[in-house]
Amino acid sequence: MKVFRLPVVRLPVVKVSRESSPHTATRIGLWLGIAFGLCFVTGLLSHYIQHPPGWFAWPTRPVGLYRITQGVHVTSGVAAIPLLLAKLWTVYPKLFERPLVKSVPHALERGSILVLLGASFFELVTGLFNATQNYPWQFFFPPAHYAVAWIAVGALLVHIAVKLPLMRTPAEEVRRGTLSRRGFLLTTGGAAAVAVLATAGGTVPWLRSVSVLGTRSAELPVNRTATAAGVSTVDSDWRLTVGARQFSRAELEALPQTTAELPIACVEGWSASARWTGVPVRDLLALAGVEPGDVRVESLERDGLYRAGTLPAAHARDPLTLLALKVDGETLPLDHGYPCRLIAPSRPGVTQTKWVTRLDVIR
Amino acid sequence: MRWVIGALGIAISAWGAYLLLPLIDVNLALWFIGGPVVHDVLLAPLFGGLGLLISRWVPEPWRAPVQVGGVLTGVLVLLAVPLLWRPFAGPANPGLNDRDHLVGLLVAVVVSWLGVLTANLIGRALRRRHPRV
Repeated sequence: MKVFRLPVVRLPVVKVSRESSPHTATRIGLWLGIAFGLCFVTGLLSHYIQHPPGWFAWPTRPVGLYRITQGVHVTSGVAAIPLLLAKLWTVYPKLFERPLVKSVPHALERGSILVLLGASFFELVTGLFNATQNYPWQFFFPPAHYAVAWIAVGALLVHIAVKLPLMRTPAEEVRRGTLSRRGFLLTTGGAAAVAVLATAGGTVPWLRSVSVLGTRSAELPVNRTATAAGVSTVDSDWRLTVGARQFSRAELEALPQTTAELPIACVEGWSASARWTGVPVRDLLALAGVEPGDVRVESLERDGLYRAGTLPAAHARDPLTLLALKVDGETLPLDHGYPCRLIAPSRPGVTQTKWVTRLDVIR
Repeated sequence: MRWVIGALGIAISAWGAYLLLPLIDVNLALWFIGGPVVHDVLLAPLFGGLGLLISRWVPEPWRAPVQVGGVLTGVLVLLAVPLLWRPFAGPANPGLNDRDHLVGLLVAVVVSWLGVLTANLIGRALRRRHPRV
């Protein structure tokens, strides 16, 4: 029963009807489901690392674990953009189905798809903008991105439950035209691959020159400058307070030093490895005579969300968790946290506190 | 099985809605509903229209590669939007978001077109040598 068709839809209908049968839609849906699944799990991990519930523990090895999970998070999100658009292209004619609502279940299904699309676009668009540190909205990104992720995944499960029987539809007969079904799937996969190649260089070192749309341009970028943090030159009466003890920078330099190759892995998806030299946090705690546990780390920063943070006990005990005094053999530059910064294995960049002034075991 | 997945989905969505509740305002609601609206009213008709123009004006052997090149161009342009349109960006950080992304985008577009055209020419040559019946 044909009621009406919008002119924009009628003309490409030869093409749309060819690509819009369930088999193509479910195939791309499967790819999209995998991308969303990876995004959700890695995003959840990143959230829990930054706001750990009591039952949660994050390993300190491999040292690049967070670099990998967050790289997967941002990369699968980028890949999901062309996949979502292709998926919607295959079902676009259904938008104009009449009657608008056939029954209560049909109304619920259409409603759930609207929620799924709203949440999906919200996650992909805000994620993409956040990865480039560009904020054209008024809400605070992390809690909104986190909450809507649950809505998206829930609506996706509802959608899968509704559409499950279509998974077993055989591949449709394809009319010869501009793009075959196979051509459409190949183009979609190709577009996802191009999107990944164009951006993944922020975290995959050998792709850096290829990824012209990657965010990182330097070997070791600075995410918050000393000027932005309100930290000016640090004078000689600076002391690091650990429990009841105080250390000058010269005293820290005189302690046994550890050098380790550790990545800075930003929540925004870029990462960069460097060779850090400094004093292990557990040595400082031992010198101050305090039992290791969760450690509160405070910075000279005047304000900002990440002025202070908590280093979990597992990381505080790790011999590679350093208060770094040098990077790549040079004295730490002020923008990288002079006089000393925290650098721990497998942690988000925002928790690698710079301009550290105080360590306290809190439990 | 389907009922279990569906019920789980509703529960998970409800949890997300509960988390989102304290954050909801007009701005957030607009960003939530904006995606589907912009896609359905702007992006999809634009892509459809361009596809139509291609199928009208581009002669047959070039139609598919031009469509594929157009798709790749569109995706690259979308990905470049947050890098090129930055009135809401924070203070500049050395080593981040400071490349010439416009040139980067143009290079990526040119390279994708060359790739698509090359793949098409190779494919055509192979088909001429081993024609399918």
